[in-house]
Amino acid sequence: MEPIISVRHLRKSFGSHTVLGDVSIDINSREVVVVIGPSGSGKSTFLRCLNLLEQPQGGEIVIEGVNLMDKKTRINEVRTEVGMVFQQFNLFPHKKVIENIMLAPIQVRKWPEEQARHKALELLKKVGLAEKAEVYPASLSGGQAQRVAIARALAMEPKIMLFDEPTSALDPEMVGEVLAVMKDLAREGMTMVVVTHEMGFAREVGDRVLFMEQGAIVEEGPPEALFGNPQHVRTREFLSKVL
Amino acid sequence: MDFNFDIIWGYLPLFLRGTLYTIGFSIASIVLGSILGLGIGFGRMLKNPLWRWPFDVYVNIFRGTPLYVQILIVHFGLVPLFYGSTNALISGVVALSLNSAAYAAEIFRAGIQSVDSGQREAALSLGMTRRQSMRFVVLPQAIKRMVPAFGNEFIVLVKDSSLLALVAAPEIMYWGNTMKGQYMRIWEPYLTAAVIYFILTYSLNKLLAYIERRM
Amino acid sequence: METRKETKTRNKWILSALIAILVLAIAGCGSDKANNSSNTGSTNSGSNAAETNAPETVVKFASDAIYAPMEYMDKDTIKGFDIDFIAAVMEEAGMKYEVVNTGWDTMLQSVQQGTEYQAGLSAVSITDERKQTYDFSVPYFESTNMIMVKEGSDIKSALDLKDKTVAVQTATTADELMSKIMGVGNTKLKRFDSNAVAMMELDNGGADAVVADIAIIREYIKNNPKMKLVGIKDTPNFGSEYYGILFPKGSELKAKLDPAIQKVIENGKYEEIYKKWFGEAPDLTNLKNAK
Repeated sequence: MEPIISVRHLRKSFGSHTVLGDVSIDINSREVVVVIGPSGSGKSTFLRCLNLLEQPQGGEIVIEGVNLMDKKTRINEVRTEVGMVFQQFNLFPHKKVIENIMLAPIQVRKWPEEQARHKALELLKKVGLAEKAEVYPASLSGGQAQRVAIARALAMEPKIMLFDEPTSALDPEMVGEVLAVMKDLAREGMTMVVVTHEMGFAREVGDRVLFMEQGAIVEEGPPEALFGNPQHVRTREFLSKVL
Repeated sequence: MDFNFDIIWGYLPLFLRGTLYTIGFSIASIVLGSILGLGIGFGRMLKNPLWRWPFDVYVNIFRGTPLYVQILIVHFGLVPLFYGSTNALISGVVALSLNSAAYAAEIFRAGIQSVDSGQREAALSLGMTRRQSMRFVVLPQAIKRMVPAFGNEFIVLVKDSSLLALVAAPEIMYWGNTMKGQYMRIWEPYLTAAVIYFILTYSLNKLLAYIERRM
Repeated sequence: METRKETKTRNKWILSALIAILVLAIAGCGSDKANNSSNTGSTNSGSNAAETNAPETVVKFASDAIYAPMEYMDKDTIKGFDIDFIAAVMEEAGMKYEVVNTGWDTMLQSVQQGTEYQAGLSAVSITDERKQTYDFSVPYFESTNMIMVKEGSDIKSALDLKDKTVAVQTATTADELMSKIMGVGNTKLKRFDSNAVAMMELDNGGADAVVADIAIIREYIKNNPKMKLVGIKDTPNFGSEYYGILFPKGSELKAKLDPAIQKVIENGKYEEIYKKWFGEAPDLTNLKNAK
């Protein structure tokens, strides 16, 4: 089967500082890939390259057969198929919760308003926040905000979801509700790339875990193998600190 | 010091006419200046320094030189060049618009840059174009933050328009000067002008406070 | 709701306070007026007497030195006909003096008060309206206004200016004369801060004519031969006007300077200074008879 995401020799640096050395990986449809590693390892930058929020200096990223590095590629069209959830939620504070979700389907997908509203309410129900449709994001808790952000990304009906440390900004008691939504999503067969520090989630939900350090994938494998029997000394050191 | 109210009454119709001109100059200039300023503000945010350069120069020149001189240059240089002869009404609107555009550009730039970059990224990640993310996500938030600064700029503009008396634009201060010339008295014309400007700016303040509350 | 109401009340308070301050300021001025008018005519008002009695008193003249050749700044030195003239007068009167370029507005206000500056010297024409607020010395200079147009203009006299666009300097007698001919509120009469700007307006096609003092028009035409300008004299309509030194109402100084002025005019000093600045001898007949 053709991988849905194919990354080859990806390089990215900020000025003289190299963030990604030479990253290559294939990700299959319906696969949940969890990226772990110490801070500064380049895992977030790697994720942000997958929808070109960061412009790589070299290499190749192919998503569903479309080469992102090709100058002719219209990146905003690719992004409609690749949803993203941010550490800081990034909800639009000037729009009500439901308007946050409806905005992109109406403006980008050109859906009629009724259809967008219907979809938004359905998604809010799914993340357990139907009663918050008409409030502004400022009145939501962190966990609620992140669930709305997930619903917002899902409204575009993407084929791939990217999660950039989705629970890192949350109070501990709210982490569970967000992870629960993500688990549901994984169960439904969504292709997911998740950068996280939640090792429990990685172990439970991940099909594959990547350990990154200093801009490179040091080790990858199924969670039971990577957590249970890490091959690389760096992986072992990292896991001994976080587990 | 004695104060002669009779000469104020005599000049009141002229002051009122001047007030209409002052209001006209101010509104025309804040509107044109804002439109021009929006373009210049975006120009100032260009990544390529070569493209950005002319916009930087524009803002620096108009903010760094006296409006007094700008008015004279527009009136005796720019306007005759395009219009054939001087015209105080055109010069007034052009000079004030060009000047306020420089300030408006900075207000736009600061307002837009004050919006967290995550907002733009979230919009882009949903497949919006850069134009859509600016229009639906960044600008609405930025404009809300710009309102106080724009209000301030508008008030400054109303008062700055008094400099147009220099080129005989028939606004409030011009009639004040005329009155001063006729009677060789200072306080009657200047205090009358000050009271009118105060009424204008005070009302404007109220209006802006109302708008800010509504937003 | 509650807080909005509070702000409203507070704003009302601020507004009332501001109005109160303005009204008080104006009322204060008004009561001064009453005091002043009761003193009008009495020449020995206290403060002035004290000042002029002191032997070492320096008389300070305020001037607006943007009116070449009458008075202007040459770098940081004030020069001009008026400056040489007052030197002769003060020598005659045996008094120390100083001329300061204060600008027009400051001159008006401070001479009206009469404390820091005891007189104004700035080619000020004597008019009835101005006499309501100031005293003037005896006339010391005869002038008339002149029309300046571009060569080939159809303007021949002051009356031709009625429907034209005319540039003048604010607060000059040219302003006053043209206000009478064209109407104070006529926007085709353009008033500028200085004659220099008025002349630029003519040069750039924004005005059909400039009206100003004859000395100034002649100087400008002489200095700008390339502009092809013509000066038009219109004695019937413009008439003669006379410059006087500006004093506060009831000033004692007038009594001391008037004889000195007359002496300078009669003893040939005046003619000498006039020739230096205007290159010709003055016709003093009108000046000597003027009141």
